[in-house]
Amino acid sequence: MGKLILLLLNLIFLCDIVAAVFEDQVGKFDWRQQYVGKVRFSHFDTHMQLSKKVLIATESNVFAALNTRTGDLFWRHVDKTGLEGNIDAVLQHGQDAVLVVGNGRVLRSWDISVGGLNWEIVLDSGSFQSACLVGQQGTVKHAAVLKKSVISFHYLTNGHLKWIENLPESETVNYQAVYSSGNGQVYAMGVVPHSHIAIVAYSMDDGEIINQISVDAPWLSNIPASCAVIGQGILTCVDATTASLYTLDLHQQLQMTQVPLQSLGLEVDPGFHPYLVSHQPSPARQPLSEFLLQLGPDHHLLLQLNDGQIVTLRDFKPALLVSFATTGEKTVAAVMSPKNKTACSINLFSSETGRRLLDTTLIFTVDPNGGKPERLHVQAFLKKDDSVGYRVMVQTEDHALIFIQQPGRVMWTREEALSDVVTMEMVDLPLTGTQAELEGEFGKKAAIQDGLMSMVVKRLSSQLIMLQAWIAHLWKLFYDARKPRSQVKNDVTIENLSRDEFNLQKMMVMVTASGKLFGIDSKTGSILWKHYLDNIPPNAAFKLIVQRTTAHFPHPPQCTLLIKDKDSGLATLHVFNPIFGRKSHVTPPALSRPILQSLLLPLIDQDYAKVLLLVDDQYKVSAFPSTKNVLQQLQETAASIFFYLVDSSQGRLSGYRLRTDLSTEQVWEVVIPNEVQKIVSVKGKRPNEHVHSQGRVMGDRSVLYKYLNPNLLAVVTESTDLHQERSFIGILLIDGVTGRIIHEAVQRKARGPVHVVHSENWVVYEYWSTKSRRNEFSVIELYEGMELYNSTVFSSLDRPNAPHVLQQSYIFPASISTMEATLTEKGITSRHLLIGLPSGGILSLPKMFLDPRRPEIVSEQSREENLIPYAPELIIRTEWFINYNQTVSRVRGIYTAPSGLESTCMVVAYGLDIYQTRVYPSKQFDVLKDDYDYMLISSVLFALFFATMISKRLAEVKLLNRAWR
Amino acid sequence: MVHRESLSPLWLLMATVVVVSGFSDMDSGPGAGGSTTQANGDRFKIEGRAIVPGLKTQDWVSTARVLVEGEEYVGFLRTDGSFAVNDVPTGSYVVEVVTPTYRFEPVRVDITSKGKMRARLVNYIKTSEVIRQPYPLQIRASGPHSYFMKRETWGWTDFLMNPMVMMMVLPLLIIVLLPKVVNTNDPEMRKEMEQSMNMLNPNPELPDVSEIMTKLFSGSKGSSKAGSSSSSKGSRPAIKRR
Repeated sequence: MGKLILLLLNLIFLCDIVAAVFEDQVGKFDWRQQYVGKVRFSHFDTHMQLSKKVLIATESNVFAALNTRTGDLFWRHVDKTGLEGNIDAVLQHGQDAVLVVGNGRVLRSWDISVGGLNWEIVLDSGSFQSACLVGQQGTVKHAAVLKKSVISFHYLTNGHLKWIENLPESETVNYQAVYSSGNGQVYAMGVVPHSHIAIVAYSMDDGEIINQISVDAPWLSNIPASCAVIGQGILTCVDATTASLYTLDLHQQLQMTQVPLQSLGLEVDPGFHPYLVSHQPSPARQPLSEFLLQLGPDHHLLLQLNDGQIVTLRDFKPALLVSFATTGEKTVAAVMSPKNKTACSINLFSSETGRRLLDTTLIFTVDPNGGKPERLHVQAFLKKDDSVGYRVMVQTEDHALIFIQQPGRVMWTREEALSDVVTMEMVDLPLTGTQAELEGEFGKKAAIQDGLMSMVVKRLSSQLIMLQAWIAHLWKLFYDARKPRSQVKNDVTIENLSRDEFNLQKMMVMVTASGKLFGIDSKTGSILWKHYLDNIPPNAAFKLIVQRTTAHFPHPPQCTLLIKDKDSGLATLHVFNPIFGRKSHVTPPALSRPILQSLLLPLIDQDYAKVLLLVDDQYKVSAFPSTKNVLQQLQETAASIFFYLVDSSQGRLSGYRLRTDLSTEQVWEVVIPNEVQKIVSVKGKRPNEHVHSQGRVMGDRSVLYKYLNPNLLAVVTESTDLHQERSFIGILLIDGVTGRIIHEAVQRKARGPVHVVHSENWVVYEYWSTKSRRNEFSVIELYEGMELYNSTVFSSLDRPNAPHVLQQSYIFPASISTMEATLTEKGITSRHLLIGLPSGGILSLPKMFLDPRRPEIVSEQSREENLIPYAPELIIRTEWFINYNQTVSRVRGIYTAPSGLESTCMVVAYGLDIYQTRVYPSKQFDVLKDDYDYMLISSVLFALFFATMISKRLAEVKLLNRAWR
Repeated sequence: MVHRESLSPLWLLMATVVVVSGFSDMDSGPGAGGSTTQANGDRFKIEGRAIVPGLKTQDWVSTARVLVEGEEYVGFLRTDGSFAVNDVPTGSYVVEVVTPTYRFEPVRVDITSKGKMRARLVNYIKTSEVIRQPYPLQIRASGPHSYFMKRETWGWTDFLMNPMVMMMVLPLLIIVLLPKVVNTNDPEMRKEMEQSMNMLNPNPELPDVSEIMTKLFSGSKGSSKAGSSSSSKGSRPAIKRR
């Protein structure tokens, strides 16, 4: 019983150790930003006047409603990634939005006011082509979905199938478009490339084929790319090679009418694929007879088709973007044309006449660090005087959404590039001007040049400046204290950025897949700078390297981004200042050969920049910066520079060393047979990780020393055979210098995805057990034993004893998305694992739960060591979620950085959303907690003070009385 | 406590079994026999309904998702709280309704190759154990998530109820109050007391701790009271004892 009480106490103590968030800390040092991804479809909610919603479907398979006033999310639905969640089409009708998802697999209808699902039905498989709403006599009740060989017709109220028909000759004809104008017929349009167009008209009541025609069109290969239905059902196409427009009446004609562009006085820009845009304000009615024709990158035309005659209403040149918008009965065309280098103007034109509407000019300022505008989404509305007003949502190349009101006021901006962060770093902020002044005072140069007197004057003046700054700070505190907390503005700009006393505020440098770089203030989450790199290849891999930190004033900090094209292997370097985002004056070397590996050496050049080594495909090494000084240092230290290369396609892991002439030499090679298993990931340790204690004190007061090999690599392999009985995952611990295999473990009946964390002397990995159908954690810890071989320095080449390996496994009751370990300044604080879950929570799991020395039977010694008795299942407590209800969708990575406080670790989780917070794995032991009760302590102090005063007086009286007795 | 004790050895035993035998073979339930994702095209639908008691569905469905086996299959909730996850092949899956505010218990759903469905409680340790749940699923929220730790608020009651404080205060009270209670009694009673004290303390030369304490406190009490009005009352026991 006594043991049990101790055990219980132990448990209580453990629960106590795990820090969680307190309710009053919400939003104090954490923030979340939610994103949706690159916009594919957008619809302004028009069924209600004064509606503030815009519906957005994105390439990240997200369907969301944004508030047009603020840009915030009303609701958001995140579907599966990949093709199965891909949104093919969005049809909006009144309160409902119908989505075709997963290449036409699922039809979903969302209630846009609530954000809930109305219905969902599964369609037959088949590649999706097109979808449209079908109306009759002014009301819309159906939707038609066209697939490669099938057309189906659904009720909008419940999604039920009204009819489904096979398309005739679907083996030869590519059906690509479906059209309906509200006259009871649905047209499926297909093409046999370079031969003819096939048009099938169905009755919308029963799916009966009413009419079927085939028209010669040897110039046509793709209907959606070059055709549109205009006016009273006239299919109009444009072709660049014959430089003509073709029209075909869907109802009767059997021949296409050719209208040469020359006859209209028009010409297609060479090499440009002309494009037609029609506009159908309501699916129950015919499209407008006006349409837009794009003939060049900045050349648009508004044309009208009237009784077979094409008339040019207006020629827009130069015009970057053109878009139709309808409100009530009026339809307008919004045209964006370049004004000067930094601004564009947007104007409205009446679609019927092509006349410019008065007072509709809107100025759009193009961000010089952003991308070019790519699409216009126009929200038109009727003003009180019946004229047309509008707001525009401009989508740019760098995935930003900018919502603008007349006459050019930016209402909000959403940087959707941040929905796809690839890699990030946290950089310390620079010192303030005054701090820098002080630093400069003690610089070597100054001391030599100046005499004693000038030094004294300098000293006094800097003290004065500090006093001034301090008074200003006090004044600000006093001034802010009078205002309510919400009104206190923390205007963070690049100019007033400075390091705080505990280095808790940092600059987050984020690299996104679109090639846009961001500098974000970690305290508030505001974007301080952005820089768009155009000409980024679509499948680029990025690596961000901090070459020089802010510690080397007056040298500016320097970051280098390595951008590698995954196909060709060719890489480019972008060197920039992480605080201001500006491109550095340092010119990076041009890399002519594909790059295999890059490594940051601890060597520094005379400007305090760390040396980056790049290994190309001929195993030649180039250094950046490559000054004489650096090359000399490299030659001196070449004997101790080793690196490894991984070729996962060949299953080869090889180690190289550097020769003094900067050529390389292979030292070791490990081949993992490619037919049986493939290398999934290779993880080394983080270079900025500190380990405070060399060993663990055991219950009997002896020390178990950790095996702290900084060159250790954890290699994870998965079997190629995915059968649940035969699949396995393997983990290899290899010394990166010698190639010595330290340990090898195989987990049978297990499969990936495997998540690995490698730190200190342990490796934690998570996998899926196919036999028990659950996620399991396994931890490997390496120990030298009771004695340390060479306690002063670790050398991979001189370590004769193999380490002791301890391993234990646990059940984890959830699948995980990503995993990372906390990191602190000196490594004294206990470690936690930060686990991103698919539900959006970020779990902070103490490493002590994943300790292979957890005993099965509790003994006196294990209790002394504070080991938790082994339990097969790890528990998830909601108190351990560091992000409480601020869920992070699709967590892809967790970044941890130490702060100036040993107890505090900075955490950024990124995925679709970005969440920043701080964690205190061993609670805040080095600062006063924020709930520290100043009132209590001061009142107790005062009470004690008065009590001593009184008792002193009483004692005096008593002594006096005694003396009198 | 008794309950705990009976549970924990079992708990440890289970742990050893699992470790020693390397997760010994735990046969899957009969329904989950064909849990391999065979490449036949049969896809099934998992259906159910989620309920948050005392709340309109509109208020929470927009933030909810249904996750099957992590994020492998995703479903959304209809405006009435029901859901369906489509295109799920034969196998055994853990189905979870996820919202940031409410907690739902996960359920394991087994789908046979013929499309027969069965729902049971999730048990990661004994994976073959079958405790049936209704199918179509009826998942009821078990309350809001408790994300926050409670701040330790400082109150007088907490302070007084602290065992350490109790241990300090109670003897103090006894020491201070007992002499007063005894003093008011008649001399016979006191004699009896002294006798019993002598019985307990066979060596009268050794100073008794309690006695010293009593002396000390009664003395100080007397002195403090001397400052105020009734010094005679406080000093009397001291004199008497001498």
